[in-house]
Amino acid sequence: MRGSLTQLNVVYALLLRETKTRFGVNQLGYLWAIIEPTLWIGMFALFYGSYGHMSLPGMNLVAFITTGIVPFSLFRETAARCMSAIAANTGLLFYPQVRPIDLVIARAVLEFATHLLVGALFLGGVALYLGVLNIESWLGTLSGLALAGALGTSFGLVCCGLSVYSSNVERLFPTLLRPLIWFSAVFHPAESVPKGLRDLLMLNPLVHAIEMMRNGWFPGYHARSLDPWYPLAWILVMLFLGLNLERIARRRLEIA
Amino acid sequence: MIDLDKISKAYPTRTGSNLVLDSVSFSFPPHTNVGILGKNGSGKSTLLRILAGTEEADSGTIRRRGTVSWPIGFSGGFSGSLNAEENCRFVARIYGADVDDVVGFTMEFAELGDYFYMPVKTYSSGMRARLAFGLSMAIEFDAYLVDEVTAVGDSNFQLKCRKAFEERSGRSSVIIVSHHIGTVKDYCQRCAVLQKGRLHYFDSVDEAERFYEAA
Repeated sequence: MRGSLTQLNVVYALLLRETKTRFGVNQLGYLWAIIEPTLWIGMFALFYGSYGHMSLPGMNLVAFITTGIVPFSLFRETAARCMSAIAANTGLLFYPQVRPIDLVIARAVLEFATHLLVGALFLGGVALYLGVLNIESWLGTLSGLALAGALGTSFGLVCCGLSVYSSNVERLFPTLLRPLIWFSAVFHPAESVPKGLRDLLMLNPLVHAIEMMRNGWFPGYHARSLDPWYPLAWILVMLFLGLNLERIARRRLEIA
Repeated sequence: MIDLDKISKAYPTRTGSNLVLDSVSFSFPPHTNVGILGKNGSGKSTLLRILAGTEEADSGTIRRRGTVSWPIGFSGGFSGSLNAEENCRFVARIYGADVDDVVGFTMEFAELGDYFYMPVKTYSSGMRARLAFGLSMAIEFDAYLVDEVTAVGDSNFQLKCRKAFEERSGRSSVIIVSHHIGTVKDYCQRCAVLQKGRLHYFDSVDEAERFYEAA
């Protein structure tokens, strides 16, 4: 029986290792982690700045896009990385104290840290540029981001468990997730959508995470349809499913 | 030091389930090096992985007293894109050992030269085996589980492996699986033969050899 201290050791060692394999291949590695979302945010800010006719009262466009792109990207990247956690690391399951769940946790933590950094860079940059830093709630902002990460982790865990049975999972789900960006209120406030459509939109738990982050960051932002318990329920159900799948998967894994 | 109680393990195959271990019960005696002989595909590597805890048995219970190594062999355990030093650091951390000690010991033992700082995927299988063996020796275990690995390398390295085990013979024991009687003779006082899912135990290696050759 292993203690929680061992597990902490394992996750910490995996985290350092993941950082190295993910970014450390060349010197530009860490920079890439930031360049990619920068390009995204820059592109969409430019596009909506020139053509969009959105009314974002009291909100800076770049800051607004950031609060959409960063949690969305956190969800998608975490889900994708957690999904392939077993497949990419079967060699490590050789060590009896390393469990699939540890691989998933390490990857989720790394993604969260990277996106937190990107978010802080952009939101901080905008605040410096405007010369004012007026935040409704730090806790709300961070909780929104954490919800997005937890949604990605729990979804990734379910897919990771399923991927042991079929390699199609790893190909299918990222493709299915791609159009999700257009249904996640990434580029507009959820309240800007007409009532009937909005009810549909709010079925997507990721929208709640994104709205929560905005609600925390922008004073006076009205996320009237926000319900933090809704994404939390999704997370709990998917975690329950994912953890059970992981336990079964561990028995089925053939560790070469 | 390790007790197996009715351990069974089967793998699904196209023609049905292949029973690799059929209700194996056995107590490994403490401070005794035990060899397990088996032909290719007899399930000896599976047995080793179950002893280590890398894989779970389908049924039965296993009790371990003292610390047990991972299955030391050619495959698994290293990430190809990282170099030997980084791999050593990782393993030292998950076993709670001193990172610098482990790296230093492994570097000296494995004799990889400049390759120590090259990605492991560039290694030959002999070099991988030397790294695997050196790394496992850098961490203190009560029982070392070895999968063939000592049979590789030149005679110099083989001698080094034997000496490393002799040095810690009072503290640690080794369980070696092999299809090669010579390896078992070099290391072990006792021997078991794995055949058709059953483990046949012999008090002397010679007896085991006769049984193994006849099968």
